[in-house]
Amino acid sequence: MAYKKVKRMSLFMRINHWVVAICMVAAIATGLYIGHPYYQTLIADLAVDKYVMAWNRWIHFMAAIIFDVSSIVVAYLYFFSRFEKAYKKLIPNGENIKEFGDVLVNLMTLNRVKKFDSTHADSFNAVFFFIFHLMLLWMLLTGLQLYVHAFPHGESSIGAWWPTMLHLATDWTVWITGGTYMDVRISHHNTMYWIIAWVMFHIYYQVWRTLFWQEGDINIVVGGSKFVKEDKEKSN
Amino acid sequence: MSDRRDALTKLFSAKGAKVDTNRGEAYYEALMNRMSARLQSLETSNLAMKSSIERALDAQGLTRRDFMKWASAMCAMLMLPSQFTPLVAQAATLMNRVPVIWIELQDCAGNSEAILRSDAPTIDELILDVLSLEFNETIMAAAGHQAEEHLEEAMKTFKGKYLCVVEGAVPIGAGREWCTIGAKGETFEEHLKRVAKDSAAVVAVGTCATFGGVPAASPNPTGAVGVQDVVRGKPIINIPACPANPANITGTILHFVLTGQIPELDHLNRPKFAFGYRIHDNCERRAHFDAGEFVEEWGDEGAKNNFCLYKMGCKGPMTFNNCSIVRYNEAVNWPIGSGHGCIGCSEPQFWDKYATERPLADSRIKAPTGGVEKSVDEFGLGLLTAAGIGIAIHAVASASAAKVESEEA
Repeated sequence: MAYKKVKRMSLFMRINHWVVAICMVAAIATGLYIGHPYYQTLIADLAVDKYVMAWNRWIHFMAAIIFDVSSIVVAYLYFFSRFEKAYKKLIPNGENIKEFGDVLVNLMTLNRVKKFDSTHADSFNAVFFFIFHLMLLWMLLTGLQLYVHAFPHGESSIGAWWPTMLHLATDWTVWITGGTYMDVRISHHNTMYWIIAWVMFHIYYQVWRTLFWQEGDINIVVGGSKFVKEDKEKSN
Repeated sequence: MSDRRDALTKLFSAKGAKVDTNRGEAYYEALMNRMSARLQSLETSNLAMKSSIERALDAQGLTRRDFMKWASAMCAMLMLPSQFTPLVAQAATLMNRVPVIWIELQDCAGNSEAILRSDAPTIDELILDVLSLEFNETIMAAAGHQAEEHLEEAMKTFKGKYLCVVEGAVPIGAGREWCTIGAKGETFEEHLKRVAKDSAAVVAVGTCATFGGVPAASPNPTGAVGVQDVVRGKPIINIPACPANPANITGTILHFVLTGQIPELDHLNRPKFAFGYRIHDNCERRAHFDAGEFVEEWGDEGAKNNFCLYKMGCKGPMTFNNCSIVRYNEAVNWPIGSGHGCIGCSEPQFWDKYATERPLADSRIKAPTGGVEKSVDEFGLGLLTAAGIGIAIHAVASASAAKVESEEA
């Protein structure tokens, strides 16, 4: 029996994935500090030497900006990727709904039933990642809304257009979360937990697939490819 | 629904708190002419009140020089160029010609108290003293039918000219009947609507009058709301904070005296000259925030060293007001200066969402679903535990019973 190698992620996509992963760890570690400074700084040092909160915020914002930009690239790839145009798997047509159900059944029956083509990204995956991207978008909007509060004077280092644009793009998040800036903060904080939960499942599922499908799925994000059995590809 | 739509429209059109402080010579010249003309017409109008600022200053032993110092500071606060100082001074002396009807609704009279109770009144407070206060439940001598008559007369005499200053929230829910006023048993809502109807503008003073404040705090038994949710078709100026800073009240009224118009407002109808600043950005303890130096508990080494109060629940980073600049009681001190964090008293729903005395991550704020009080972190930890348990069950089941694809398959 022969295995066939299928390329799934280009070098750029893999780098993008790991940049996002590192940014997320950085954003969570610093974000938790910003919400509640959980470690002490040495009281004997002068304030100017420490700058601990400022560094935490700096890392948080930098991670967020890199995160946001890479997400915009991913959004572009949803439509124009050379490999798999993810949006095609998001359209709720009969084929996609069936595939979504089949993948879910596979997971629930502990791989006893597997009635779909695992060569390419499936509908279940596409929906799962779409939820992630919606959460990221929400973090971007609420985060920028919290960020723009630092510009009450309407100026920034790159000009007045930036805070103006942020107000236009994100002020509605105040209204939608409950009417106060605190509500935006709570929502931003809350969404972090949903993202961590998402990451937990994401890592688990990738390992699980690798173990039980025996198609080398974990390599997609490292080497860029996975393997499928040739006869199986034909039968599906 | 239409209220929510209004709010949404307003949010989308928010311009931030920026005030353009350099609009060119032509603009300021025109403004100066307009203000001079307005002050002149006020000067020739009838005195509404016999006391004058000169007499009040004299009684307190304050000199003309003190007064002019105040006028130039007020001029800067209103974001006007310095050549407007004489006009500001003149407007202050004409304050006794602008009739004010000050009504009290669901409140503790704390805003009146803040003005009245100081042991050495500031010029701001004296100015508010000489305002032609036609009606004020807290300090007037009249009561009952006599007071009602007085109100009727003032409203008739100064129809369309008086400022309606409101202190306190308006109960409009199921508990509104608990709050009535006067011999006729008018509800607060009727009272406010009647007085606001013939006013030139409505000034909501204090957080209760602006956003409902403490009476509107959960569970809000009387269905309290702010003035802007009840009064329609009138210019409304919100001067929140608990209590509102007399300097901001004076500034707003002075602006009205000077121009006959209301000052530039932000998306919550607060004057930008006063609420265009974030507490955090002008805080004297800001360097300790950036350094990560926090008070961990009351009276600890950090507290003695005036460290940042963020971990004691200071909400300066989310609160817009000028107290870190103007301070209270003639700039003597303000909450953070005296060692207590900001409780966000000039923001909507402050009692439920800001005044938790804990940083956000520790605050026990009502979950969006209502009902049980739960902090976000407890919820988040619960969510992660649930996800972990789900994963663990699936993993154990997979390890013992899953089908592993084999070579023969």
